[in-house]
Amino acid sequence: MHAVIINGSPRVQNHSNTNRILRKFIDGFCEAGNTFELYSLSDITTWDFAREAYEKNDNIIFALPLYVECVPGLMMEFLETLPSKNKDTKLSFILQSGFAEGLQLRCGETYLKILTERLNCGYGGAIVKGDNFGIRFAEGEEVEKLTEPYKEIGKIFGKEGDFFNSKCVSFTGPEILPWLLRVYIGIYFKTGAKKNFAHMAKSWGCDKPIEYKPW
Amino acid sequence: MTVIVNTTDNKDITKILEKNLFGRSLEYEIFEASDMHISHCRGCNFCWLKTPGVCAIKDDYEKILKELPRASQLWVISDTALGFLNHKGKNIFDRIVPFLTMNLEFRDKMMRHVMRYDNRLDIGIIYQGGIDKDYMIRWNKKITDNMKSKPLGVFDVGEILEATKCMQ
Repeated sequence: MHAVIINGSPRVQNHSNTNRILRKFIDGFCEAGNTFELYSLSDITTWDFAREAYEKNDNIIFALPLYVECVPGLMMEFLETLPSKNKDTKLSFILQSGFAEGLQLRCGETYLKILTERLNCGYGGAIVKGDNFGIRFAEGEEVEKLTEPYKEIGKIFGKEGDFFNSKCVSFTGPEILPWLLRVYIGIYFKTGAKKNFAHMAKSWGCDKPIEYKPW
Repeated sequence: MTVIVNTTDNKDITKILEKNLFGRSLEYEIFEASDMHISHCRGCNFCWLKTPGVCAIKDDYEKILKELPRASQLWVISDTALGFLNHKGKNIFDRIVPFLTMNLEFRDKMMRHVMRYDNRLDIGIIYQGGIDKDYMIRWNKKITDNMKSKPLGVFDVGEILEATKCMQ
């Protein structure tokens, strides 16, 4: 199986959580001898090649972070340049975001189905997973640990060619976290999380509180 | 105040809006984004963690962002693509991230970012072209829930008079 994989994240590749996720996904996908082409839309100079690959291939995976509940503006700009195809072309998606609960990603996921219809392609399903914000701040083995689950998903896609397998569907995790965990997280948001964010900000050279109102 | 951002090249839309808003005691500011340089969001997170509230991209979007803390409504006028706002319209929303803080809370039983400012910024959309309207209404609701505000509606450009009735 050959797949064209397009990273729709606007963030430069070195800092792209989606790229880190894809590296692990591709490890799993290639285990059975599958091949791939990877394009990153953050590098606009590659768009012509990505478009050509989309036109010539029938197994396309878009990987993207959720931006304001839908496709990032930069990815939308690229999508607008794509021709309509036919149902022999299958679009599958890896949708990731920061919030942990699956419910947070469903609005974005719904658009991916609409998008597929508008491009007149077949839908290969979507891997939907939140709780990925921390990948950016992880290093070394921590990154491997956080992204490791995507390797199994890559293996499944490499075997089945879509994301309809029950393991892919359940990969999202809970739609809503158990109430007791929510209570704990709510307390954490008001205490430890604030401290952590302030610490991150300081490490980035920020000299203002993160609640600062510039205007 | 009402902030209106027209991302289309069709300035007749804003002319009609102005004509219908004339004489009303409504403070508004119209931005013709086709005359402005507005980039896409690059997801750098600087607006949350390095320069809180300030976007790292130094382009014309800052003029819009500066008005939002004293606005009660934001209307985005956009062309459409693939059943949704086109990239120019979507970029206006992606770049609004500095209006939120990195901090988190549970609000209406959902995890949300804490708003940076105290004003409630309701959001409406006027579109020009084909669109999946049911989805757009859902999306409008979702983004305003995230921003602790209310959706003002999704209007075809042919329904612009209906949209102006919602402007206050």
